[in-house]
Amino acid sequence: MSDMAVAPDLELAPEPPPKGLRIWLRDNLFSTPASGVLSVAAILVVIFALRGLLNFIFDPLRRWDAVTYNMRLLMVQAYPTDAMWRVWLAVGIVVVLLAATFAAWRIGGMLEPRQVSKTLMALGGGIALAGILGPFSATATVLWLVVAAVLAGTGFATGRLTGDRAKDPIIPVMAIIGIILLLIVVVLWILKVPVPGKIVEGNLITDGAEAAGLRGEQVKVLRSLSNTTRMPWTIIFALGALAFVSVRMFSARAVATLKRVLVPTWVAAFPVLVLILLRDPVWRWGNFGSVYVGAIVGFSVVGGVILWFVSRPSTGEIGRVIGGLLLVLAFVSFLFPMPFVFRFLMLALALFTLAGPTFGGETSRSLVTAWVVTAAVLSFFVFTTASESGIDVPGNFFLGGLSLTIVLAFTSIVLSFPLGVILALGRTSTMPLFRLMSTVYIELVRGVPLITWLLVAFLMLPVALPQGIEIGGVMRAVGAMTFFSAAYLAENVRGGLQSIPGGQREAARALGMSTVQMIVFITLPQALRAVIPALVGQVIALFKDTSLVTIVGLFDFLHLARAVIPAQSQPFSFLGSIKETLIFAAIVYWMFTFTFSRISQRLEKKLGVGER
Amino acid sequence: MENEQRSTRTLGDPIVITDGVKKWFGDFQALKGVTATVREREVVVIIGPSGSGKSTYIRCINRLEAHQEGTIIVDGTELTNDIKNIEKIRSEVGMVFQQFNLFPHLTVLDNITLAPQWVRKQPKAETEEYAMELLERVGIPEQADKYPGQLSGGQQQRVAIARSLAMKPRIMLFDEPTSALDPEMIKEVLDVMKELAHGGMTMMVVTHEMGFAREVADRVMFFDYGTIVEEGTPEHFFTNPQHDRTKLFLSQIL
Amino acid sequence: MTVEVRQHQKTPLWRNATVLKWASQVFVLFMLLFLFGALGSRATDNFAQSDISFGWDWLSNPTGVQIREGIDTLPDSGARALTVGIINTMRVAISGIFVATLIGTIIGIARLSSNWIVNKLATVYIETIRNIPLLVQIFFWSALAVGLPSLTAEDVGTYWFKTSNRGFAFSWVFPDGGFWPWLVFIAVGFFVGRWLLRRRRQHQEDTGEPGHGGWYMAASILVFAVVGWFAWPVLSFMEPVLEAIEKFVANLPQIIVPIVIALGAIAASVWWIRGFFESRRTPAGFGKLTDDDWFRVVFAGFAGIAIAVVAFVIGEFTIKTVAGEVLSVAELAIVGVSNFFGWLGAKFNATDANTVIEGIRSGGPLVFERPQVILAGGAQIPQFGSSGMVLTVPFFAIWTGVTVYTASFIAEIVRGGILAVPKGQTEASMALGLKRSQYLRQIILPQAFRIILPPLGNQYLNLAKNTSLGIAVAFADIVAVGVTIVNQTGQSLPVVLVWMAFFLTVSLSISAVVNYYNRRMQLVER
Repeated sequence: MSDMAVAPDLELAPEPPPKGLRIWLRDNLFSTPASGVLSVAAILVVIFALRGLLNFIFDPLRRWDAVTYNMRLLMVQAYPTDAMWRVWLAVGIVVVLLAATFAAWRIGGMLEPRQVSKTLMALGGGIALAGILGPFSATATVLWLVVAAVLAGTGFATGRLTGDRAKDPIIPVMAIIGIILLLIVVVLWILKVPVPGKIVEGNLITDGAEAAGLRGEQVKVLRSLSNTTRMPWTIIFALGALAFVSVRMFSARAVATLKRVLVPTWVAAFPVLVLILLRDPVWRWGNFGSVYVGAIVGFSVVGGVILWFVSRPSTGEIGRVIGGLLLVLAFVSFLFPMPFVFRFLMLALALFTLAGPTFGGETSRSLVTAWVVTAAVLSFFVFTTASESGIDVPGNFFLGGLSLTIVLAFTSIVLSFPLGVILALGRTSTMPLFRLMSTVYIELVRGVPLITWLLVAFLMLPVALPQGIEIGGVMRAVGAMTFFSAAYLAENVRGGLQSIPGGQREAARALGMSTVQMIVFITLPQALRAVIPALVGQVIALFKDTSLVTIVGLFDFLHLARAVIPAQSQPFSFLGSIKETLIFAAIVYWMFTFTFSRISQRLEKKLGVGER
Repeated sequence: MENEQRSTRTLGDPIVITDGVKKWFGDFQALKGVTATVREREVVVIIGPSGSGKSTYIRCINRLEAHQEGTIIVDGTELTNDIKNIEKIRSEVGMVFQQFNLFPHLTVLDNITLAPQWVRKQPKAETEEYAMELLERVGIPEQADKYPGQLSGGQQQRVAIARSLAMKPRIMLFDEPTSALDPEMIKEVLDVMKELAHGGMTMMVVTHEMGFAREVADRVMFFDYGTIVEEGTPEHFFTNPQHDRTKLFLSQIL
Repeated sequence: MTVEVRQHQKTPLWRNATVLKWASQVFVLFMLLFLFGALGSRATDNFAQSDISFGWDWLSNPTGVQIREGIDTLPDSGARALTVGIINTMRVAISGIFVATLIGTIIGIARLSSNWIVNKLATVYIETIRNIPLLVQIFFWSALAVGLPSLTAEDVGTYWFKTSNRGFAFSWVFPDGGFWPWLVFIAVGFFVGRWLLRRRRQHQEDTGEPGHGGWYMAASILVFAVVGWFAWPVLSFMEPVLEAIEKFVANLPQIIVPIVIALGAIAASVWWIRGFFESRRTPAGFGKLTDDDWFRVVFAGFAGIAIAVVAFVIGEFTIKTVAGEVLSVAELAIVGVSNFFGWLGAKFNATDANTVIEGIRSGGPLVFERPQVILAGGAQIPQFGSSGMVLTVPFFAIWTGVTVYTASFIAEIVRGGILAVPKGQTEASMALGLKRSQYLRQIILPQAFRIILPPLGNQYLNLAKNTSLGIAVAFADIVAVGVTIVNQTGQSLPVVLVWMAFFLTVSLSISAVVNYYNRRMQLVER
């Protein structure tokens, strides 16, 4: 209430109330007797829970070596060792792209030293508490306390050194992330983790291949990480930092160019990464020459002529009619046996033709060029997916573990995006049948749990598909999750579309834009920008939902953690280690979703303040 | 001097013809048979109380609303369900709204060049050049790279006018262009409109700015209850109104 | 003033906006129907090759499904098995919704607490739980429960509460023979109470004296409950009445079913079209209908007639039942409705309730039981007896999982709802001199509740849907039972249709309830 006092302009604000631990405690924990009782109870709960947790984690009987020994299994499952560079390359590309994006768009913002100092001191306090409560030897306790003191001291120093500027946002978030990454790299080089070993005739064997089949007492030993893990991470983080710093030093003009390049790069990165990870196609030149070269040349010529014709300014409606007919043809093509590449090219050509009258005209030459490039790229991707892979793998899909989880989540979200947008447009359309169809789809899909859709994909899809089309387990899961997530996405996008004032549409109409042009240039860009936080929320939900594929028998991260590792008995036995692996899985999932939810919150704040 | 301004224009052939236009919103009849003709280079100011159908009328002329009975012929093309005619007419009739309705996610320049580029299918460079020319005309060339949110209301409305002009329309419709503006910004918009009228643009303006009507209009129409109650030259209209409704309205507003 | 009109000819069809609009809609609709038709016919062909034809026979035939827990562990038909699954799902969902709301509200309020440590604890709870996939949590609870000590011979006895690695057993109150008649009494008490409540409110408004309407209502329900506890056999006259209805329905001609459906469909479309014309009416007669309006009217009429025709066609389809009888769908519907009344009638049977009806434990409406550990089977293995409530490990895992998970979301909703009530409301209430408890109850909570309700309904729906994850820990919910049936009979499509029907019914019911309250709250607002 003190701030309600009426003061003349020039009078100084009253001194802030005095600070101190005692006063803070009084205000925040013991303001009333009831609150005091509550605080004491809560403190007891914290101590009890923390102690229980620490006792659980540091119990010598815990099999944390089940996690460390199986780390590669958990991450990439049966991915061949000599192809691991592909995984590292993919991770590297993502990290460097992220760093460049962050630098170019200046994402991150600034923190107040006061906040940083507070967080560090709280962290130090927490670690000190853990050191005291945990079941540690005297030396270990001292070590914990030293770490705590260093953290708290750094925090204290940050607060003191910045002095007057403690409340100004002067510490860049990216610098803190950089420091954390540096610390991670350092830890990777000095960390020792428990690994299993067998004592056979007095010799300690830790190598799995060697230990297989041998009998002996199983023990745990502490070892540092192997170079195959810590070296790639170090290099990748160094490259990321390099990318970040160099982009920051670019001129404004170079950054503007980079921004223009980065968006298509991200779009292209997705299929490229999938290709790097999953495909090393065997180049069957005969097949390629007969089918693919023919397809590319044929479709380029035919498509080029059609597109050139329909995109002339005078051919408006005829173009749309031709596009509609091509669309029918493309649908029909899925019912008859023919190489997949024809079907996809037909579909793409139909979409191009439909778009032609709207976006053609002066730019018809670039439209034809775009078509030829699309046809070639599309054929290449169909070729690489349809031909055998040169990567020597057991089974027909070898990616598993966390990488499968990530691939599932991102493939589904990327694929569900266009479908969701179309459904949202349908649901907000003025045309009653489109509205009806979209509404039925959205409500039907959202009304039934994802697991039933996954079961539908696994129980029913195989029998409903035309002969000659087979869809593997992973693709079925991706399909089910795509259709599911599209319905939710549609509802989010609908929110954005409805938030656009009607005047925007009227203005577009008054300028003579067609419906498609209005959607592409005016309503959708605004709607999507408005729902970005909700879309990130959708990504989080879908990422968590990928765990459901374990029920239909895919070897995703959770399945390995819950069913595979706790059932291992050779070369080392991890029978019954399910709690350890589940906790590890929970932590990994948590780190991903928590990061995303924080990003979403920041975006919400940023967009809420509005750059308009 | 005002009369001189007007007299420099010679009116051409009829360009907008409406005959018995009727329009219902559900059970509410907004237009009850409006018959009027606007000639080339003519400036028509439409006034009337709110809800009288004047906005609906000009929105029917570029078919933001579809009329249900009667005929509307714009530049020799009848407005029907024919999408080709609708597209043609919309690109020949510019419209300026009360709420500006600029596209907030595009820069001022992009706002102006978007439609010529994709609807008129003109090359980008050409549209940008013309857009800069238009921005000069409305007096804010320095704002080209800003976003609408960074401009004042008056500036936004001037951009909206430039955006419509970029399509090289033959007719401009103004739907209460100054109603959402602060008094000091009204003048800058009206000046642009006056200059436009001076340049020979055919204009239909719904407004409450009686000064503008007196000074620029060739003809004033008074709307009430979905019909044209009275029309005539400004001199005649403001000094010697015939109809009781008109007298009442003018006595309230002047 | 003659003007040459250049394009006054008739608009060609492919340029008519209305025609194009509807053509594209119908085009896409047919495309989709075509796609589904193609998939469907392919599925039928494939099944024909593998000697499975889709049908509903399995509903009444024995499927050989064994269920680990529920009201019936060896159901004699597919329908019975699904019923067990549905009841298991509902058990988890309904009890979960109550507890999750309770926990969520407490945590949500704790999140707003000025007490630092309580606030932080609530934050940690929310941020931990909702960022970990539900399935991981369910597995974790399951692993935790399996790790509990097993029952030994020393444990034999009766308990108030007992945990073991075979599940959790606790004392519970069960419905008994007089339960349904007693419920009727309580319902009557509720309506009488509502009437009293209204009268008391009126009284309060008229005189200004406190009405204590709530107390009157509670008392009314209590009185009827107590009276009904003893007087429930009075309602046994309902049995012959319901049986008479059962017989009457059974004797209806089967043509009545498609007739009722067809009349309903046509009436609905006529009603819609009438309403549409009404909405276009002007004081001067009917308003102008646009082409678009005409399309709508034609489409609505067409849809009504189509449903009517389909009802007659489907009514003729036949199905083989367990006894080998061939019944048409229409007959089956009649039998179903009639059986329902017979089942309801049996619930009012008071004379020999103790012996006839399965599951009866004593004569009253409710019975209280404590769990027992007994030695059973030839090998004398210690296990929980049939009395008391025994929750299996799967039930515990799925129930705890969905409840704790949903609670974290509810907490955020509650917090958001309370924060969303404008501060001015509190200030205005204080300015009016209302006491804290008064303005919380009268001003803040009703407004917060209005904001909270729709997302809360969504969370209830999510909870109900998430119970389907029980399949991962072998909890016999509707999805798990369905999968077992598919494995046994191969009838994947019908089972999927049953799932969809069930979950859509649940979501529609929940959204209906939420909408009802929403509308009521908004009416109160005005």
